[in-house]
Amino acid sequence: MKLMWASMEDVWREAAARWTLIAYFFLSSIFLIIFASAINLDIVDGTLAGAKLFGQEVQMGGGPQELSIERLVLGFETGFSAILYFLCTFMAIFATAHLVPRLQEKGTIDLYLSRPVSRFSLLISRYFAGVLLAASNVIYLLGAISLIVGWKTGVMNVRFLLAGAIILFVIATLLAFAFLIGVVTSSTAVSIMATYGLFFFALMLVAHERIEAAVSKEWQATLINTLYWIIPKTAELGQAVVAYVGAEMVPERIASVLTPAPFLTTAAFGIGCFALASWFFQRKEF
Amino acid sequence: MTPLIEVTGLRKVYRSALGQSRVTALDGIDFTVGPGELFGLLGPNGAGKTTTVKILLGLTRATEGSARVSGLPVSDPESRRRVGYLPEGHRIPGYLTARQTLSIFGRMSGMETADIRRRSAELLEQVGLGQWGDMRVKKFSKGMTQRLGLICALIHSPNVLLLDEPTDGVDPVGRREIRDLLRAEASRGTAVLLNSHLLSEIELTCDRVAVLRKGKVAVAGRIADLTRKGEQYKMIASPMDDALLAAFRESGAAVERVNGHVILSVDGVQHLNALVDKLRAGGGMLSELSPVRSTLEDVFVDLVRASDVQVGGMEEGRS
Repeated sequence: MKLMWASMEDVWREAAARWTLIAYFFLSSIFLIIFASAINLDIVDGTLAGAKLFGQEVQMGGGPQELSIERLVLGFETGFSAILYFLCTFMAIFATAHLVPRLQEKGTIDLYLSRPVSRFSLLISRYFAGVLLAASNVIYLLGAISLIVGWKTGVMNVRFLLAGAIILFVIATLLAFAFLIGVVTSSTAVSIMATYGLFFFALMLVAHERIEAAVSKEWQATLINTLYWIIPKTAELGQAVVAYVGAEMVPERIASVLTPAPFLTTAAFGIGCFALASWFFQRKEF
Repeated sequence: MTPLIEVTGLRKVYRSALGQSRVTALDGIDFTVGPGELFGLLGPNGAGKTTTVKILLGLTRATEGSARVSGLPVSDPESRRRVGYLPEGHRIPGYLTARQTLSIFGRMSGMETADIRRRSAELLEQVGLGQWGDMRVKKFSKGMTQRLGLICALIHSPNVLLLDEPTDGVDPVGRREIRDLLRAEASRGTAVLLNSHLLSEIELTCDRVAVLRKGKVAVAGRIADLTRKGEQYKMIASPMDDALLAAFRESGAAVERVNGHVILSVDGVQHLNALVDKLRAGGGMLSELSPVRSTLEDVFVDLVRASDVQVGGMEEGRS
């Protein structure tokens, strides 16, 4: 436990000193400021008389229409949850992908490994420190948006906050992959590029059935199908975030999107990546 | 006494990525370091010094042989519980202050916060960094970083110290302070293994050395024994006239006059005493008599230049 706390402190101090933490929260804050100033609500006697988002009249069904505040909040948050899914994931990977390559630098790794800690403990403590760093930003962004919306409308949607758990789950999986690449290559740039690449490739594979139908050879179709089941379901989990936040608006979507398969296969991928990273790290000679 | 560092038949072969080429970094070395001993590991570049230290720390695995620290195999992380290590060219994170560095690495060694606080203050003062405790390491000079690295290795009161070029970049006063610190640690029973190119530093600090060459222990032993030049003695006496020197030569001693003193080559201690008797019989006064020694550097250079390794020079390659 002492190692875990020491490692967390180390990661946080590094993030603060290298401006990663400040940049991380600065960017998030800019997003929040833009968001807060973009919402203009006209509430008369407790009912919503009009609403503008980024200066545009909020419309439904083609023309200006009176909305309930609750519905408007749900609409806002559902839309923003998709943006936040990408924003939080991208920023988290950018802010944490260096954790292993920096650790493995000559002159640094010796200092850490000369302590009575197993390599697995060292790696997992940095992993949890990275996930905690990402979690703090997810909580900050989602919490602040909830507060801004609550302050402007008086409506709080708990599901919007809880959706942060799904976002964090995706971040944790991708960070395990970034750790694997970091252990093997000792390069922050390669870790970031490979992880972003994986994220986008996984997004494309949501259309795996159509791709399988389009390819000419059987083995290609099998490969696409296998890859689909192996790599994380970033598209499906993004849809799950949106569906979960907007569940009260479109309840029937929940059942079709929030299924266990994407979660289980993504978790298996993350665990597999971390296990592999740990195996390489154990065997690595410094 | 049970050695704290025990290396037996250690062999390390590095293979290229595809296994096509092999380099033997260590070729069956043996040595031990006991409690309270200051042991120097010497050798030219590529002799296997760093590999030995890395194996002792579990950073690299041995191909053959065994290495034990505090009685435990080096594969067991617990063997590093009481090990302090200062790597050459270490990179203490620049974003940490000296105190934070000691706190993080102290906790990683299982120390309690209160003990870290007490020990940090003590050590920072000891190496002259008392005023710099809350300054970020990136603002430190090379010598200061080196001192911090050293106390970082000492924070958890280890009983084994592995130091790679500990005085690198440190000024002469600082070097003496570090030497004193290491001697104090050794007097408390710490086994110190020093890996350095600064032979004069090793000579001033260590009790015993092992010289590695091409992955083998070329010679090992006490510095005093390694540097002793046979039966040669330096004598300063007065009067040291030609008649006296002729008398010395008559007894079979080789005599060479050098800058106000003479170098005597004798056939043992009895012969030497006979010469002293001759001096006194002639009314001479002896003011200095000491065995002539070469420097460790001379020994080192001779060994490195030797075409074949004379394994077992002093102690059959073991100590």
